[in-house]
Amino acid sequence: MSAQPSPIGEPVLELKALRKSFGDTEIIRGVDLAVLGGQRHALIGPNGAGKSTLFNLISGHYAPTSGDILLNGAPIAGFAPHIINRLGLSRSFQITNVFPRMSVAENLRISIMGRRGHRLTLFRSIRSLSAVNDEVDEYLQNLRLTRRRDSLAGDLAYSEQRILEMGMALATDPAVLILDEPTAGMSRDETTYIVDLIRRVTEGRTLLVVEHDMSVVFTLCDHVSVLVYGEIIASGEPSAVRADRKVQEAYLGEEVH
Amino acid sequence: MINARTIVPLLAALGLLVILPLFLSPNLLNAAIKMMIAALFALAFALAMGQAGMLSFGHSAYYGLGAFAALHLMRAVEHKLFGFPTPMIPLAGALIGFLFGLVFGWFATQRTGVYFSMVTLALAELLFTLAPTWNALFGGESGISTIRGPSWGINFGSDADVYYLTLGWFVVSAWCMWAFTKTPVGRLALALRDNEQRVRFLGFNTHVARTLIFAISCLFTGVAGALLAIANEAANYTIFSAQASANVVLQTFIGGAGTFFGPALGAMIMTFFARITSDLTRSWLLYQGLIFVLVMLFAPQGLGGLADLHARKVRTNGWKHLVAPYLLCLVVGLLLIAGLVFVVESIHVVLTDAYLAKRAAAKGEWVPYELFGQTFEPFSPVTWAIPIMLVAIGSTLLPVARRITARAWLAATRDVPDEPIAPSASAAPVAPPS
Repeated sequence: MSAQPSPIGEPVLELKALRKSFGDTEIIRGVDLAVLGGQRHALIGPNGAGKSTLFNLISGHYAPTSGDILLNGAPIAGFAPHIINRLGLSRSFQITNVFPRMSVAENLRISIMGRRGHRLTLFRSIRSLSAVNDEVDEYLQNLRLTRRRDSLAGDLAYSEQRILEMGMALATDPAVLILDEPTAGMSRDETTYIVDLIRRVTEGRTLLVVEHDMSVVFTLCDHVSVLVYGEIIASGEPSAVRADRKVQEAYLGEEVH
Repeated sequence: MINARTIVPLLAALGLLVILPLFLSPNLLNAAIKMMIAALFALAFALAMGQAGMLSFGHSAYYGLGAFAALHLMRAVEHKLFGFPTPMIPLAGALIGFLFGLVFGWFATQRTGVYFSMVTLALAELLFTLAPTWNALFGGESGISTIRGPSWGINFGSDADVYYLTLGWFVVSAWCMWAFTKTPVGRLALALRDNEQRVRFLGFNTHVARTLIFAISCLFTGVAGALLAIANEAANYTIFSAQASANVVLQTFIGGAGTFFGPALGAMIMTFFARITSDLTRSWLLYQGLIFVLVMLFAPQGLGGLADLHARKVRTNGWKHLVAPYLLCLVVGLLLIAGLVFVVESIHVVLTDAYLAKRAAAKGEWVPYELFGQTFEPFSPVTWAIPIMLVAIGSTLLPVARRITARAWLAATRDVPDEPIAPSASAAPVAPPS
């Protein structure tokens, strides 16, 4: 898989004084965050902290009320999702979000043919696009889904659907991949497996992950930011964040290993 | 995939269609033309509906525009403004259908689901209201008419000429729509149907894609409308009616929106049904509605879905188990239908003005009525015994027929899963972590 080069150590994704209100309720209350190139950045926080809203702002699902989002230094706040994707930021979803009545291979092919410029190609047969089809096989292999290539995505086991979903986001070849709770609802073994898979297939990419499972955060990520009530209260290396008094207070009653 | 199993039946069907005019009466030949046009309309509608999940309630707009485009072109040729070969007239329908599909589709595809359906319906109603008052374009309430000019050494005077012209366009259009499903945009249509939001986050401008797919559907709808105009040499504003839009929806669902040829099958059968029954009874719309309800209740995948199910699951020699049970089901169905038709037609006769006048003449007595060439007494036990017997026998046999058919089905089908590969029970995602 070819990865778009991320300038290591430079900010690739920046949020500046980002705010989002729904009616009178302010969900995101001035978030400043910098995700550096090559970083594996975790976003944690209690339920209702605004993590999913923040992802929806970054990926273009919602437009922010105020503030800036910069991708590789260029503003993307309020852009349509497909533009943000083409600029190099792709997301997965918390709920499984595949094309259930299409085969696994075809799910991946949608991503790949789009990236390779066949978004509105009418006068070519899909079978003649050998570069696209070869890459589909490559992704199937990397995601270890080859033996499922002709199954309908809706028939896959839950954890396989989550892997496919992430694979579809990955197959648009983004510089920044944002994953919304990639291990939610999985058993311990499945979690270990998928964390290992994520680490392998996202090699060289910048990663921003919302995750509840602290052991996943500490094995997968090298940087942690904590979001509480729409504000970042701590950001830094996992061990430093774990020791932070404010973080421990925010998680009172919840486990921080 | 093109292989012998699909290409042989297709060629056989095509050969049959080519020689068909030799055996048909003029009336049936005309019916065959209308059936092919309806089939093409349904295929075009299903391209938006079945594949991209866009349920348009206003496809009569593009059908009618295609028809009027063809009529105006034919009139220009008739008045010697310029020359244009008659067999190529449907191109005008294609062009106008596509252009209006782009413009109207741009607005309609801003929304999905039921809101999309409502916008398409409103746009078609707009034309339906506008057409009768716009004389220059739509010829007012009486519409416009013209004649088919001779070209390419064919005079296009006979229905047989029109039949072959329609057949040619039907085959070419159906092939194009089949090929469309194999293109990147055709595959994208399926993804849009399944989950439009996900497509947007994969870098596609779904509004543009949906507009394009809708316009392609309207292009072939325009061809169908143009073929109708060529066959009838006339059209008026009623072609834009909501009834016409609803018809293609019903036909597509009866045929099965989930299969490629199902909608064409549904359209052919229902067009033929309408043509036969509308001459026989004024209750034919009731029967058409009943067919729709029954299909939706008992075979929601439609006729095409049923055919597909049999093609996938019945073993090579499985049919010998199914013939007798299916014949039994047919007999049971006919008994029930006969009972129902008797009741419906009796009520219908009794409510006609002619019968009411006879009753008035007999001082309000329930005089005998005529049905199927027989005379029946309204309150005679014999009269009532007919439908009661038919329905009683039918409903007694119904559970028996169902049981026998279910058993035969098990014997006749392979033990294959419903889908290409069953979800594995072990659900083990994945090879154990390395």
